[in-house]
Amino acid sequence: MEFKLEAHRIVSISLGKIYNSRVQRGGIKLHKNLLVSLVLRSARQVYLSDPCPGLYLAGPAGTPAPPPQQPGEPAAGPPAGWGEPPPPAARAAWPEPERPAVPDAPWVGGAEPTATVTGAADAPQGRAADAAEAAWGRVEGPREAAARGAGSPAGGSDAFPEAPQAARRPCACPSGGEDRRGAAAASPGADRRCAPPPSADESPAPPAVCPRKRGAAGVGGGPAGCPAPGSTPLKKPRRNLEEQPGREEDDGAEEMETGNVANLISIFGSSFSGLLRKSSGGGREEEEGEESGPEAAEPGQICCDKPVLRDMNPWSTAIVAF
Amino acid sequence: MISDEIIVHKFGGLQLLSHPLSISQKLFCLEQHRFSSLNGLTKEPDIISTVEFNHTGELLATGDKGGRVVIFQREQESKNQVHRRGEYNVYSTFQSHEPEFDYLKSLEIEEKINKIRWLPQQNAAYFLLSTNDKTVKLWKVSERDKRPEGYNLKDEEGRLRDPATITTLRVPVLRPMDLMVEATPRRVFANAHTYHINSISVNSDYETYMSADDLRINLWNFEITNQSFNIVDIKPANMEELTEVITAAEFHPHHCNTFVYSSSKGTIRLCDMRASALCDRHTKFFEEPEDPSNRSFFSEIISSISDVKFSHSGRYIMTRDYLTVKVWDLNMENRPIETYQVHDYLRSKLCSLYENDCIFDKFECVWNGSDSVIMTGSYNNFFRMFDRNTKRDVTLEASRENSKPRAILKPRKVCVGGKRRKDEISVDSLDFSKKILHTAWHPSENIIAVAATNNLYIFQDKVN
Repeated sequence: MEFKLEAHRIVSISLGKIYNSRVQRGGIKLHKNLLVSLVLRSARQVYLSDPCPGLYLAGPAGTPAPPPQQPGEPAAGPPAGWGEPPPPAARAAWPEPERPAVPDAPWVGGAEPTATVTGAADAPQGRAADAAEAAWGRVEGPREAAARGAGSPAGGSDAFPEAPQAARRPCACPSGGEDRRGAAAASPGADRRCAPPPSADESPAPPAVCPRKRGAAGVGGGPAGCPAPGSTPLKKPRRNLEEQPGREEDDGAEEMETGNVANLISIFGSSFSGLLRKSSGGGREEEEGEESGPEAAEPGQICCDKPVLRDMNPWSTAIVAF
Repeated sequence: MISDEIIVHKFGGLQLLSHPLSISQKLFCLEQHRFSSLNGLTKEPDIISTVEFNHTGELLATGDKGGRVVIFQREQESKNQVHRRGEYNVYSTFQSHEPEFDYLKSLEIEEKINKIRWLPQQNAAYFLLSTNDKTVKLWKVSERDKRPEGYNLKDEEGRLRDPATITTLRVPVLRPMDLMVEATPRRVFANAHTYHINSISVNSDYETYMSADDLRINLWNFEITNQSFNIVDIKPANMEELTEVITAAEFHPHHCNTFVYSSSKGTIRLCDMRASALCDRHTKFFEEPEDPSNRSFFSEIISSISDVKFSHSGRYIMTRDYLTVKVWDLNMENRPIETYQVHDYLRSKLCSLYENDCIFDKFECVWNGSDSVIMTGSYNNFFRMFDRNTKRDVTLEASRENSKPRAILKPRKVCVGGKRRKDEISVDSLDFSKKILHTAWHPSENIIAVAATNNLYIFQDKVN
């Protein structure tokens, strides 16, 4: 499960990097974009091979419908055709998370779990993943509480009331994304929109990190909306990022929502249309530019070619590395 | 302007050295600093992007992000002060490349100097190649210490004389003047690369050189600027099938037909230009099988080779990827003969390093003159040396604070877990903005040049 979150986050970060590379001085660097696209592909494979049903935002009936979006949010948040969640049988094979402290910790901003994070995960990553996973757990709340018993990793029942509201609301960054489609000059606007929301958003204080994340999502935005300690490690890399006109990468990195990913996809056009789809809906990949296009197109192409892996085993070692 | 801000500190040395080639006993001490700012603020154009000694070690060239080249020259040792080694002083500064704009592609071309390579000296002048992303230039650096005086048609200030006033003729004579070092661009090799040039390498025949970008390698003759031969082309017919790019290339030090190039997939190909005109098919292919237990999202990135260097002997090649330095024997293709961990403690932090782009940093690596020690940079202004014979290694730091006059560099240690000792630094305290990407080693002596962002450090080992 946490593989999926991590993978999703990495997908968002990677897309942000590719986007930012367009405005970098000196032109698009082929080498870096190729490497980013390889990471994107790996993360995508993990994302799709993870039997966890969670982040499938679905059009088709029968899938857990995302909670109604707040008014004013673009209805196009969840992208269409995002693929079916795996059958319920796969859910039974849900692996126990490797971070036993998670059920207790997420409400404290994820600071605690770092001590108990297994494997080689570094602290920031651990915290981020835990926070993400906690949010994930809440997202899962309505569905998973039914499917699973006390093994729910993130104290889902706690989050139950909030999850429906919190979960599926794409942040305003997608609308910022709409702006981004225009010109880099629009991104200051996007930034403002994604500025820290008043913390008096709907979430109560104790579940600090993730609800506020959701709140941030609802009001204006990703990264700066999560001042909680758990998000500090995510802030660190943000400060290190170059001053790019668009801080979309941050938003993409921060947000659990797939909505912004969908909007990045729409920004790139059909190049990424098959990115998170399992079917061969990738279609004809457009080339963004001479150099970044091929890398962008690559993941989609792989999507068409390779069958989806349901087997988690090859990636268990990937988790150790984290 | 950088020349106004250069401070060159001269430090004497103290140290003792019994075995010149043994790292454990060799103690480097700080010889000189070149600081580009007094107050610690880094101006981006001042960031050093390449460092290179010439073939005798007399000159040291640095290129920076602003397109400037600064050449240092070693002082001749005077007979009076035999023990005082020559210091490096600024010899010449010139603007090599300017920012350009490609109107067809609406692309700005950075003026940052990616590489400098010296030509061996064949006359009184020095020649070097410097390149940015698109254009290679051959610069001639020469001294002028005499000027002609006594012209007939113009006076000493250069004003033309009225011919009617000339009653006698004289032969102009050369009179000494203050030494002036001038740099002139002798050749400009442009418009040959679609992608960004990452390497240049002078051939051992001293007549040709190669320039490599992400997908192609071109062979040039120094005399011909409007033509180059393409000798490697890995661009796929369909760019969507692109899987790897060229990351570095170098000619063999002795065999003018042989060169190697490294790829983003962690492989090295050795090519022989006698085999065919287009060396797309390699003669040798060096690749180490991946360790499956280390697999992660970022395995591909960290296996990308950022630098490849032949040993001086020509028997070995050294490659640098993100976490390791490897030495390969040219006669064994299936694995390196030596692998050195530069900063393995970063392996668990790859995701963060990916987010802040540090994972894309391209570290270089260098051999010492006898090929017994290799050196490469790391973060926190640390750089590492590995002695291939004794298998010992040392971590040193290039920093203003830690370098006092006559100070000997103290080995540093990164604490990877558990109790941190007093002098150790923990992994989480490392400053990832202070990275040492470029270093150089004098061809015959134990003098090293280390570029730490916008500062240049020169270290020597001193003999009593």
